[in-house]
Amino acid sequence: MSNIAGKSYAMNVITPIKWYMAWLNRLIFWAAQLPLFKSKLTGLITLSLIHYARWAIVRPAAFPRLDPSQPRETIKYHYMFFFSNFNGSWAQYVDSFHMAIPSGLNLFWERNVKYPGSVPLQPFHSYITYNQIWTNHYYNAYPLAASNDVKAAKTLKAALLDFIAKTQNATPEDFKKQYEALLNNTQSCISLMEPTPIVSLSAQAVQDRLSAAGRKGQLGEAA
Amino acid sequence: MGNTAGKAYGLTLLCPIKADVGGYSYGDIIRDRLEGLMLNHNSPMAKVPNTYLCRLYVLDDVFYEGYPAKEEHLKSRYLVFCTNFYGSLETYLQEMWNKIEKDVRFLWEHCIAFDRVQNAKEFVAYIKKCQVKNTLFFNGSTDEPLAEQLKSLYLKQEFSRFVFNNHGKTAGELQRAFREFVAITQPDNLAGPSWTPGMIEESPHHNYENHLQTAR
Repeated sequence: MSNIAGKSYAMNVITPIKWYMAWLNRLIFWAAQLPLFKSKLTGLITLSLIHYARWAIVRPAAFPRLDPSQPRETIKYHYMFFFSNFNGSWAQYVDSFHMAIPSGLNLFWERNVKYPGSVPLQPFHSYITYNQIWTNHYYNAYPLAASNDVKAAKTLKAALLDFIAKTQNATPEDFKKQYEALLNNTQSCISLMEPTPIVSLSAQAVQDRLSAAGRKGQLGEAA
Repeated sequence: MGNTAGKAYGLTLLCPIKADVGGYSYGDIIRDRLEGLMLNHNSPMAKVPNTYLCRLYVLDDVFYEGYPAKEEHLKSRYLVFCTNFYGSLETYLQEMWNKIEKDVRFLWEHCIAFDRVQNAKEFVAYIKKCQVKNTLFFNGSTDEPLAEQLKSLYLKQEFSRFVFNNHGKTAGELQRAFREFVAITQPDNLAGPSWTPGMIEESPHHNYENHLQTAR
């Protein structure tokens, strides 16, 4: 079991919401995606530690029922599933939301049953902890990279290709001049990525297990 | 709008698991299998093209929030699969079946109605029945094909090395060094040197400097 894959953490939170509030929440989520209200998502963009996140509000009848032998769900609440892939530790993430976009959090969660509000912090921490489910398998295509690295890499690659095209026939002096301009323009994208530091006991346990498996493999090869 | 953000797709699945029989819990078996999967570049999901990040877990029940909330329970357990990928749903699922059919069968074996899945087309149909629509899908990253993302990350890493190692060189030396860098890293060639899906550390062959001798 691990919520961590390289620099990413997988958070799963499931919270109940009354049916009439669920429809209101759907309307708010829908409106937040319209150009007019897009600024409501600005906070999420500003918190650039997120790769991808999603909310799915599932009504009782929408829980998949694939066979008549499967009992029909009798729950009354609708359930809001939240999934996030972010960089850093659980506390960094939750606290960032609490500090940076408390009103945005409240906008999305306020109508959920017994949501305590994003401020003060301790009740909010307890609410998320209580409703969080651990991931059984988590995969990340680029464990070495943070979300900011992925975005910076895209910017840098485009600038690099442009630079290569422009300097193909340049004199050394002109080349150097344009090279320095390239570095000046892309300096925020230039950095070395390293394996993630160990940020939790569970990550340490995974690391220990992998190291043990590696040693076992080496012994096997030696034998 | 809820399932896509640009060309990135957010698939959310709730796959009902067979009811427990005589103390035999299919949910526990699935959880055990999930936790036994290899990780990172050895994960079966590393073989599924265009997967950015994904997760699986077993949902046993919903939470009771305490009085005055109502206490209620699910009638089935669910295998939850949440994946973020590039491109269309059908293509992704067909590729998933084609690349890791054995793993898919291993993980979904005890889900209701999965025994009727025998090929890629039936797998796509099954998955669509388990799909729940996202209310909001937020993309805080990019929506390019995975190969493009990995190539860009490789270039970012190697160009950063180049910058650090060529500081203070004369114009002529710098230009010669850069031409070598381009020849080795092949920036516009996705099939050329790059990172591989799920890799947790670089190997010496990723470092362009280790290829300088050969290039010369």
